[in-house]
Amino acid sequence: MIFDPTLAVVETRKVFAGEGPGTRAIFYLLSLATLVTFFAGVGLRLRKYYAGRPAAEGRFWRPSRKGEVQDVTTKPGLGAGLMKVATNKTVRRDKPSVGLAHLAVFWGFIGLFLATSILSLDYDIVRNFSRFFLGREYSFYHGPFYLAYNAVFNLAGVAAILGTAHLMGRRAAHKEPQLDYTRAFKPEAGYSRRQFRQGDWLFLWGLMTLFITGFLIQGLRIDEAHFPTFERWTWMGYLVGLAWHGVGVSAGLAAHIHPWIWWFHVLLALGFVAYIPFSKAMHMVTSPANLIVNDPANTRRLPQVPNGHSGYTELADFTPKERLAFDACTKCGRCHQVCPARTAGAPLSPRDLILDLRQWVDRQNHIPALLDREDRPDQSGPLAGETTLAGSVIASRTLWSCTTCMACVEVCPVGIEHVPTIVQMRRSLVDAGDMDPTLQSALQNIAQQGNSFGKSARMRARWTKGLDFTIPDARKEPVEFLWFVGDYASFDDRLQNLSRSVAKILHQAGVSFGILYDGERNAGNDVRRAGEEGLYEMLVEHNMAALSSANFESIFTTDPHSYNTLRNEYPAYGLEKPVRHYSELLTDLVLSGRIPVKALNKTVTYHDPCYLARYNRVMDAPRALIEALGCQLVEMPRNRTGSFCCGAGGGRIWMDDSFLEERPSENRMKEAVALGVDVFTVACPKDFAMFSDAVKTVGQEGKMVVTDIIQLLEEAFDTDRAMAMSVAQPQADGADANPGEGVSSEQGPQ
Amino acid sequence: MRIVVAMRQLADLVEELEVDDSGTDIDREFVKFVSNEWDEAALEEALLIKEQSGAEIVAVALDEPDVDQTLYTAIAKGADKAVKLTGLEEGWVSTHSRAKAIASWLGDQQWDLLLTGVQAADDLDGQLAGILAAQLQVPHAAVVVSAQTEGSSVKVSQELGGGTIVEETIALPAVLGIQTARQAPRYAPITRIRQAMQSGGLEEASVAGDLAEGRPTVRRLYPPEKTGHAEMLTGSASDVADKIIELLRAKGLVKS
Repeated sequence: MIFDPTLAVVETRKVFAGEGPGTRAIFYLLSLATLVTFFAGVGLRLRKYYAGRPAAEGRFWRPSRKGEVQDVTTKPGLGAGLMKVATNKTVRRDKPSVGLAHLAVFWGFIGLFLATSILSLDYDIVRNFSRFFLGREYSFYHGPFYLAYNAVFNLAGVAAILGTAHLMGRRAAHKEPQLDYTRAFKPEAGYSRRQFRQGDWLFLWGLMTLFITGFLIQGLRIDEAHFPTFERWTWMGYLVGLAWHGVGVSAGLAAHIHPWIWWFHVLLALGFVAYIPFSKAMHMVTSPANLIVNDPANTRRLPQVPNGHSGYTELADFTPKERLAFDACTKCGRCHQVCPARTAGAPLSPRDLILDLRQWVDRQNHIPALLDREDRPDQSGPLAGETTLAGSVIASRTLWSCTTCMACVEVCPVGIEHVPTIVQMRRSLVDAGDMDPTLQSALQNIAQQGNSFGKSARMRARWTKGLDFTIPDARKEPVEFLWFVGDYASFDDRLQNLSRSVAKILHQAGVSFGILYDGERNAGNDVRRAGEEGLYEMLVEHNMAALSSANFESIFTTDPHSYNTLRNEYPAYGLEKPVRHYSELLTDLVLSGRIPVKALNKTVTYHDPCYLARYNRVMDAPRALIEALGCQLVEMPRNRTGSFCCGAGGGRIWMDDSFLEERPSENRMKEAVALGVDVFTVACPKDFAMFSDAVKTVGQEGKMVVTDIIQLLEEAFDTDRAMAMSVAQPQADGADANPGEGVSSEQGPQ
Repeated sequence: MRIVVAMRQLADLVEELEVDDSGTDIDREFVKFVSNEWDEAALEEALLIKEQSGAEIVAVALDEPDVDQTLYTAIAKGADKAVKLTGLEEGWVSTHSRAKAIASWLGDQQWDLLLTGVQAADDLDGQLAGILAAQLQVPHAAVVVSAQTEGSSVKVSQELGGGTIVEETIALPAVLGIQTARQAPRYAPITRIRQAMQSGGLEEASVAGDLAEGRPTVRRLYPPEKTGHAEMLTGSASDVADKIIELLRAKGLVKS
């Protein structure tokens, strides 16, 4: 269409209606300066990312890793990442009202950005080009397009204002712990995070003022034009215009005020754009990018040690992906809130860790920041110069506090993977020998005898002595299931009974299973997460040798930690067999009728082990089992992927926890006690040990019973029916028992 | 400054030790051997001296089961050299023979300070350091809890009975039996041990010759035999007291 302002009624408005050529020139010069500043800031960051250590993690285009890791969550990739970004799914999770407010600001801001871009496209590009090349000025900014444009982008503006108002209100009124920037690790000389708080408010008020002044200008313009009917499509601007008129601003006065507010709005808008790369506002770019490169496999299968280093010791060790992740943090504090270490009073907060690393990396790269820095009277922590990373920038106590429970990774709305970075730094602590003496002796024991108990490797299967049958040695005879028993289930006096129960039940159900006897070593999950990569590799080599000498179809474990490394990490070392957890196996056996049970009629609660629920998404099997045993399950408030760690993971079980204000297991036990149930069900040997202690230390002994799922099953076991079945079994065997069931009957009850 | 740390291998006490068919030694076949913990303290003290004032550390051990692991671990921790003394017959080595083997190797070595564990599970009398010093004809101190070199002498702290600590300065060369190092023995990451193993560098030296001279002969090795049982005294406090006095009188330990 041809733009002709002389026509009588054209639904449009003049751009730069009140501004002369001088003003326009200043405007364009300022815009140019703004863009230069913005891209300079972005460039500094890009340079920082590209200076990172090249690593397989975080590659944008990922080759398909079929068979290498069995992914249990959303497949990573561009499409899935963009969906997460567009829907704000990760922001809305667990916090629907905050998420919705953010979604409104997110799309509102995008809408307003589009509005400005479309206007610029029309005014600066289409009109100029058409005039220059065609000799006649074309424009699309009028008529129905103009009306729709205003109606839609008014909605965006209103959404942005409402969303921002909600977020401001929450920040001002609610005293949630994660909104307070108190550090978990308190530096000796003190610290101040005043800038963080100021930066947050600057960001919020900046946006709010920008949105509001936009509408004020629109109202003034409509007031000046004497409220043309078609401007009713600009519904919010029209209302604001009426308000101006209502408070006595006539068309003439409006024309007088307009330039002032216009300049205020323009300067604020340009200033805001220039401020983005140096502030919290940068998350508008970095967080979506990080969500796209996020890969759930990274924590489940830990990254390699950097070449030539034993762990992270210096700036150059950080990968581009990690550097981006540091920049992606919005300080929302959800990780701070869920972290068991922080909750227990340990000096670790995942948020502090990420912010400290970001500030340190930025300082080393000379990237300026606006109200986004911590102040300290001494140059310690994130303010330190070129120094040892692990132990100086991040205190070793902080790094050792992590239970690797992955709650932070799970809950992070922008896809930061804290745990792999923590383990990389732990690796250099191990190399320097900077660790708890009890951890050191556990690692030495594992190196010597393959178990953390320091008992003879040959005594690993001694717990089987109490059985009235012999468990087949999978290295000597073929079995269907290979049971990877694990250290705690093999050596801990309290847990050996549970192991015997598992063996008895499987034996009675006629399941073909075997163990590796003294060929088994600690699976290494927690050794690896403690940062002893060399020892981990040694254990893997040993276990892989034992596994390859055995004849079996699939593996099951009692320990969710062993389960994780066997399932997700051993494939890289050649393991090709499927791995299951005993809760899955037992559930199959009960539901298929292989294990006859009577209803227990108990009311119980269930604790999801981190390495089972969060890491590997095994949540339904234990629940189905509990239900099949006739128990009523009362869920704890923190359940499934939101489960709260017992405090034992990542090697913490080998370290001193007496300095904690409240052990995570005690915190968890209190949560269960508040439900009014008296049975606390677990599906992890370490959990049984941890919570058996906790039930005593919180004074609930005798009132709350900690029970493993195998104990529930043992209690529900229907001996009479089992007897009847075992009599019937030989005929069934003769008639070739049900191969489709997936469980061999070769080892029928004798 | 050249510091020699003499180390030895012992059956891991977490193993179930059994007497072999000969009845004069433990069954070594399936037993895991580990480094003597006091030798580890001696190595740690040597490493501390090296860090403080510089020194070359040589770890030396007889060719006993799993000894490579111990020597490579010493290298991984910071020893500059490790030597395995070969040529001995298999089985238990008496402290005298051990001392003789080490002393004969040291004969053509240049060294300033020899550190070894003050005792071992098979040398609870702590004789090795003393015998070595006698054979080498140099000064000796036992139960040392701190050693710091000062020029051509070493300042040591020795722990005597009743918590008494003696500090003295000994001229080098000298032999010290180490009770504890100034800090707990450091951790050797497996990666470093494996790197040391891959680059090899374990030296071997033969100490053939008659080392059996003066060696005691083991006639019989056996687990402690039950020689009686405890008698529990029951009754009121005064009844028990009467019975005790009666027993003491019967044994002739108190008069009248």
